[in-house]
Amino acid sequence: MIAEILKAYNEAVFETDKEAAFEVVEAALAAGLRAEEVVFKVVIPAVEEMMSSITKDPDANLAQHFMTAQIAAEVTERMLQRFAHPPAILGRVVIGTAAGDLHSLGKRIVMGCLKALMVEVVDLGVNVPAERFVEAALEHDAQVIAVSAMMVHTATSEQGARAVRRILDERGLSNRIKLVVGGAPYRFDNELYKIVGGDGWAADGITAGRIIIHLIRDVKSEQNGQNEQNKQHEEREHDPA
Amino acid sequence: MTPLEILTAAIRGESAPRIPIFCNLLDQGARELGMGQRDYYRRGEQVAEGQLRMNRRYGYDNLWSLFYVGKEAEFFGCREILFADDGSPNVADFVVKEWDDIARLELPEDITRHPAWEESATCLKILRAEAGETHPICAYLTASTSLPALLMGMERWLELLLTGPADLRDHLLTLCSDFFRQQVAAYRAAGANVLLYSTPFSTPYFIGKQRFERFAMPWMERDLAPGGVEGIVYYCGMAPFNEVIPQVIEQLGIGIHYLSPLADLAEAKGSIEQRLVGQNRLTCGVIDDIQLIRWNREQIRAEVQRICQIGIPGGRPGSHFLFGTGVMPMAIPEPNIRLLLEAAFEFGRVS
Ligand code: B12
Repeated sequence: MIAEILKAYNEAVFETDKEAAFEVVEAALAAGLRAEEVVFKVVIPAVEEMMSSITKDPDANLAQHFMTAQIAAEVTERMLQRFAHPPAILGRVVIGTAAGDLHSLGKRIVMGCLKALMVEVVDLGVNVPAERFVEAALEHDAQVIAVSAMMVHTATSEQGARAVRRILDERGLSNRIKLVVGGAPYRFDNELYKIVGGDGWAADGITAGRIIIHLIRDVKSEQNGQNEQNKQHEEREHDPA
Repeated sequence: MTPLEILTAAIRGESAPRIPIFCNLLDQGARELGMGQRDYYRRGEQVAEGQLRMNRRYGYDNLWSLFYVGKEAEFFGCREILFADDGSPNVADFVVKEWDDIARLELPEDITRHPAWEESATCLKILRAEAGETHPICAYLTASTSLPALLMGMERWLELLLTGPADLRDHLLTLCSDFFRQQVAAYRAAGANVLLYSTPFSTPYFIGKQRFERFAMPWMERDLAPGGVEGIVYYCGMAPFNEVIPQVIEQLGIGIHYLSPLADLAEAKGSIEQRLVGQNRLTCGVIDDIQLIRWNREQIRAEVQRICQIGIPGGRPGSHFLFGTGVMPMAIPEPNIRLLLEAAFEFGRVS
C-alpha cells in the first residue's frame, strides 16, 4: 500500500499540485496509516527521491522545488501534531537572508526541505545582521547558520556571511556552529563559498537539506567526541590512582 | 565601422572587422562620477554621463538607458528602493503585500507622463544626441510574467502563479502586459534600439517546459503583439533557456538570444542557426562575470577565447555572434574589466 501512496504523492508533487498531495495524505490516514508513517515512509522518501531526480532530470525546475518543499513542510507540520510521541529532531538551523538582501524565495525553499527532513528551523527573516545570526544560533542552540544571498554584493559583503564567519572564529564557535551559504551568486561561481568562509553551499534547496544534515551530524559528533573526552578527563581526575 | 554598424552587420551576417562586444557596467557609473548611488540615480543627466564615460573608457559597443530594474515598480507606486554603494539597487517595498492589493493596483494611463519616466527620457535624449548615430542604445524591459516579482517578491509571485486563483493572477498579468506594451513603445519612440525582453519566468529553469508552453507563451505573445519583435532580445536574467529556443524563434519570431553563461553555447548557437538559415539572427555568448571577481589574467583570456571560438568558428565573417556580459558586479577589480575587454577585442576579430 505504501508504494502506491508514495507513487500517488510523488505524482501530485511532480505536477506541483498541492491539493492533490493533501488528498493523497488524507486518504492514506483514512486507510489506517499512522502520521509517523506518512512522514517517514511517504514525505521524506519523496523529498529524497526529488533529491536524486533533480540531478538526473533536465526538466526539474524551481517551481517543483518550491512546491515539493512547500507541500512537504506543510504535510509534515500537520502530521507532527498527530504523532503519538514527540518526534526526534535531527538538529536545529537558524536561517535568514544576508544583510542588505530582501530576496526570500531561496530561504523559503531551503526551509521547507529542512522541515520535511525533520530539522528544526528558526527563521530570522530578511536583511539579517551578522551578529543576529550568531546570537540566535547560540540562543536556540543551533548547529548550523544558513545565509541566503541573491546578489553578489550581499553574498560577498563584509556585513554578510563573511562577518558571520569572523564572529564565529573570534568567539571560538567554529566547531560548534557551522556556516552554510547559498543563492544565485554561488551557483555562478562554485568557489565563492570558500571566499566568504562558508563550511558548505548548495545549488538547490534539496541539496541544501542534505548538506545541512551532514553539517549537523559533524557538529554533533564533534560535540559527542568532546563530551567523551571531557568524561574521560573527569574520570581520570576522580581516579585516585 | 561604427559599433552600430558592427551590430547590424552581425545580425545580418555581413562582414565586419570584429564581432559586437557588449559590456554592462551600470552601477559603476556612480563610482565613475564619484557619487553615491541614491544621488546618481536621481538624475537622467548623471546616468547618461556615467554610461558615456564608462563606454569611452573601455570602448565596448553598447550604451545603457537602464537605471535599475526596480524602477519599473515605481510606475505601480513603489516608493522605497534600497540603495547600496557596492551593488545594485533593490525594491524594498512591495506594492502588493497581500493578494487583495492586486485589485487596487493602478497602471498610469500614459507612462510617459509619469514622474518615473521623466529622468529616463532625459537620459535617453542625451544618449541619442551624443551617440545615437554611432552606438546601439539598450533598454531593459521586464516581461509580464516576471514583472510581478518586482511588485510582490519572488516568493509571493511563485505562490500566486502556482496555487493562486487564476482570475487574480490573470488580472495582474494583464496589467503587467499592458505596462510592457506601453513601455516598449515609449523606449522605441525615445530612440532605444536594442530592447532586452527580460523574462526569467519564461524559462524551463523556473517553471518547467509544460508551463512554459501553456502559461508563459501566450503572455509573451500578448506582450509583443502590438509592437512586434524588431530590436527585441530574448533575455532571461541569466537563467538558461536553450530548450525553448525553438519555440521562441518559431512562435515569437525572436532571432536574438542573450544566453546564460550556464547554458551550452554551442548547442544554443546550433539551434538558432539551424532555424534561421539566411535570416537575421544573433547568438549572444555571455561570460560568467561573477567569476571575474577572482579570476586571473590567464583564466579570463582562456574563457573569452573559448566563447569566441564557439561563436566565430575559424574566425570567419558572418558568424551572427556577439560577446556579452551579465550585470557586471561592482566587486570586479578594475584591471579585470580591462583584461576582459582586451581579450574580447582580440579574440572577437574576424579575418
Ligand atoms: C529572477 C531574477 C530576477 C527577476 C526577479 C527579481 C526579484 N524580485 O527577486 C528580475 C528580472 C525582476 C530581476 C531583477 C534584478 N536582478 Co535578477 N535575477 C533573477 C535570476 C534569473 C533568478 C534569481 C532568483 O530569485 N532565483 C530564485 C532562487 C530561489 O533560485 P536559486 O538561486 O536557484 O535558489 C536555489 C539555490 O540558490 C539554493 N539556495 C538559495 N538560498 C540558499 C541558502 C542556503 C543556505 C543554501 C544552502 C542554498 C540556498 O536553493 C534555492 C532553491 O532551489 C538570477 C540569475 C539566476 N539564474 O539565478 C538573476 C540575478 C540574481 N539578478 C541579478 C541582478 C543584478 C538583478 C538586478 C539587481 C538588476 C538591476 N541592476 O537592477 C535586479 C534587482 C531587482 C530587484 N529585486 O529590485 C544578478 C545578481 C548578481 C549580481 N550581478 O550582483 C543575477 C545573478 C543575474 C546575473 N548573473 O547578472 N532578477
